[in-house]
Amino acid sequence: MDSLTPLPLAVSLLGAAGLTALRGVLGRRVFELAAVAVSAAVALLLAALLVASIEAPIVYWFGDWTPVDGVALGISFVIEPLGAALATLAAVLVTASFVFTWRFFDNAEHLFHVLMLVFLAGMVGFALTGDLFTLFVFFELMSVSAFSLAGYKTEEEGSLQGALNFAVTNSIGAFLILAGIGLLYGRTGALNLAQLGEALAGAPPDGLVITSFVFLVTGYLVKAAAVPFHFWLADAYATAPTSVCVLFAGVLSELGLYAVARVYWTVFDGAFAGHLPALRAIVIGLGTLTALVGAAMCFPQRHIKRLLAFATVSHVGLLLIGVGIFTPTALAGTFIYIVTDGLVKASLFFCTGILLHRLASVDELGCDGLGAVMPLTRVLFVLGGLGVAGLYPFGTYLGKSLIEDEAAVLGYPWVTGVFIAASVVTAGAVLRVAARVFWGVGPGDAYDIKSEAEGDEVQPEGSRGGSGSTPASMWAMAALLIAAAFVSGLIPQLAGRVEVAAEHFVDRRAYADLVLAGVPPPEVGLPPAESSFKGALIGLASAVAAGMIAAAGLWHMRLPRTITRGATALLGPPFARLRALHSGHVGDYVAWLTVGVAVLGGLMAVMMG
Amino acid sequence: MSLASRRTVFLVAAVGFAALFLWGLAGLPDFGAYDGVYGETLNRVALRQRHATNLVAAVTFDYRGFDTMGEEYILFAAVVGVAILMRAQRDEEEDAPDDDARDRLTPRTSDAVRVLGLGVFGPIVLFGIYVVAHGHLTPGGGFQGGVVLATGVVLVYLAGRYSALRGITPGASAEFAEAAGAAGYVGVGLLGLLASGTFLFNWLPFGTTGLLTSAGMIPFINLFVGLEVAGGFVLILTEFLEQTLVVREVDSGGPEGKRERDRS
Repeated sequence: MDSLTPLPLAVSLLGAAGLTALRGVLGRRVFELAAVAVSAAVALLLAALLVASIEAPIVYWFGDWTPVDGVALGISFVIEPLGAALATLAAVLVTASFVFTWRFFDNAEHLFHVLMLVFLAGMVGFALTGDLFTLFVFFELMSVSAFSLAGYKTEEEGSLQGALNFAVTNSIGAFLILAGIGLLYGRTGALNLAQLGEALAGAPPDGLVITSFVFLVTGYLVKAAAVPFHFWLADAYATAPTSVCVLFAGVLSELGLYAVARVYWTVFDGAFAGHLPALRAIVIGLGTLTALVGAAMCFPQRHIKRLLAFATVSHVGLLLIGVGIFTPTALAGTFIYIVTDGLVKASLFFCTGILLHRLASVDELGCDGLGAVMPLTRVLFVLGGLGVAGLYPFGTYLGKSLIEDEAAVLGYPWVTGVFIAASVVTAGAVLRVAARVFWGVGPGDAYDIKSEAEGDEVQPEGSRGGSGSTPASMWAMAALLIAAAFVSGLIPQLAGRVEVAAEHFVDRRAYADLVLAGVPPPEVGLPPAESSFKGALIGLASAVAAGMIAAAGLWHMRLPRTITRGATALLGPPFARLRALHSGHVGDYVAWLTVGVAVLGGLMAVMMG
Repeated sequence: MSLASRRTVFLVAAVGFAALFLWGLAGLPDFGAYDGVYGETLNRVALRQRHATNLVAAVTFDYRGFDTMGEEYILFAAVVGVAILMRAQRDEEEDAPDDDARDRLTPRTSDAVRVLGLGVFGPIVLFGIYVVAHGHLTPGGGFQGGVVLATGVVLVYLAGRYSALRGITPGASAEFAEAAGAAGYVGVGLLGLLASGTFLFNWLPFGTTGLLTSAGMIPFINLFVGLEVAGGFVLILTEFLEQTLVVREVDSGGPEGKRERDRS
């Protein structure tokens, strides 16, 4: 198994370079087949590593530089189930995207595949590494390839602008990460996560430790798109090709959150353990803000990609709450939610890609009723909405209920309310789109909310103008992913198994012993199976409520006057202000990012310093 | 936000940011009081272990060679990204290369620049190769040498014409060099895997310290990185030049207009 460890990364990088070198020689069909083969091979290799890492975590030292007296000379991969699962998800989504875009792109399509493979390598390395600086290198590799992928549709107005906003904000995030690494290295002389954790443990956190934590976390949260670092996301999603959005929404944001959890539990846990309640309050607060802002921005959108983008922001907030509870059970819930929600969101973006292919539009009002000719996509889209709501047996219900229960135990019972609110509103928005686009329900012209979709001409991807049929390669991918999310909730003992992995994930001492001394981690028994009946019930209620919200969005003018007037008076001004903040001006985004760092640092200083 | 309010928000936040940063910096060891365990350890063992007189090269291409592979691919991705973003659009067409912008005349390249450029071209390329090849002995290596090599190609354009530049980097040769260099680094890693069971293991004999043939695989990695960097920079250069010299926006009528003009 050991010699398998570097292969996913080596295969994707070698594939990218090899395809570039051979692109003049290979025919288009062969080239695309080769790209699919490479990403599928990477997915299989990662799945094998995932299975192996469930038995025992894998530590792999590149160049055979094993640590000497607790000092890491080289760089290690530390493969445990949670990171391996994320990497596998990334490879599966890249493969699905390749199949989805089969003979779909026009000029320079070759380079698209090359860049996607490099992007995949970046995500894989990011998820598997056990070194803080390598985490930065792969953060950059993901970023640089993602910037160009976001701007891929250069013929569209705003595409380069979206990519540029993405590039500027994320580069500032990268600078912050580098500054954080510099501070930590200056103190400890170490870059290995385990060694850093050992060096920081025991002493109470001082200014350097707190500052480096804030810088690192901010950098990762820019990628994850937590408020107020999220502004770039909707711009980038709205203009990126849908097959790229699948990856952004399905796994890129989630990797940012993974890095927060990884770095906290390996490096900072020893120093911060005594201040956990304060840290918990800060991160849960940030997550709540993100979940609510995302939901509030999601519902009024009529540009379907922007709508899904803000749904992603909202769900990132929920996931951040899950990370911020800082317990293994909540972490297990977060991971179940990350993977299942990633599958649901990816499927929804594929469905949107089908809309774009058939109708040459992603404007909810412009597509009013036109989707009636697509019975299959209609079903998939509705299923996606129900998955977002967390209807049993979609695995999303299980993840959410684990986080909610754990939050209640720790004195945050209102977190359940945040989860329900965010899920209901975002799922309601998705269901509203489905009802209007696929059934033509609701009066289209009476809708008065202005949207960025207005005047935004969207070029169909591939063919000009609408197309008469949906290729099987397109709907099959959407169906496959939503089916995977559907059955994931039925896997026996899923929660217990993930909890075992999470227990290992949060055990900093065992991690350090494993990496620096090769001591295998202690056994963790499978926790007894718990019924998640309550979670399933909440999921059902959320789905029903989402349907009602969707109906309210469609027929709001039929509601009693007093209700609509009251709602407008109450919600109108703050909504308008919130919308105005999302100005598309990158200077604004940077200003808010700076505010975020200062506030986060200030809160940490006051509550922990 | 208006410019004024954006500035206000930013400046207020920047004060907080600066305070936080200073608080963090205050926690660093005092000037000159460095006791980094990594640097100390490597200073003690690296020369003996790897026979590379440039310890930085030993760290970047061997101890932490995996990072450098990722960094090489960051450049690779950036170059591919430039090529994607600058590809010809539907409303653009490629014209015969024209060294002058259409709307203004540029002076002819002076004889002094031509003579100097052509005269320096050879030495620059030679120097680039030297810097790449001696990366494990003296400061330099693949990244720096590759850029120097690409500068030589820039000189050909400056001293001659665009067609001369394409003459020394025909077709997709720069792209091929870039891809081959990137693949080569991974190939070295895989050779280590085959030879010893560990990716990027430095399994060649380390030779005599100070000689060109020392330090095992490090010079080979430098060669591949040099190839990748030189190819990548030349590719970026030709992409930008193509954008200004070759690609023209179709004036009217979109692709149809182009086809009509092609016929006439």
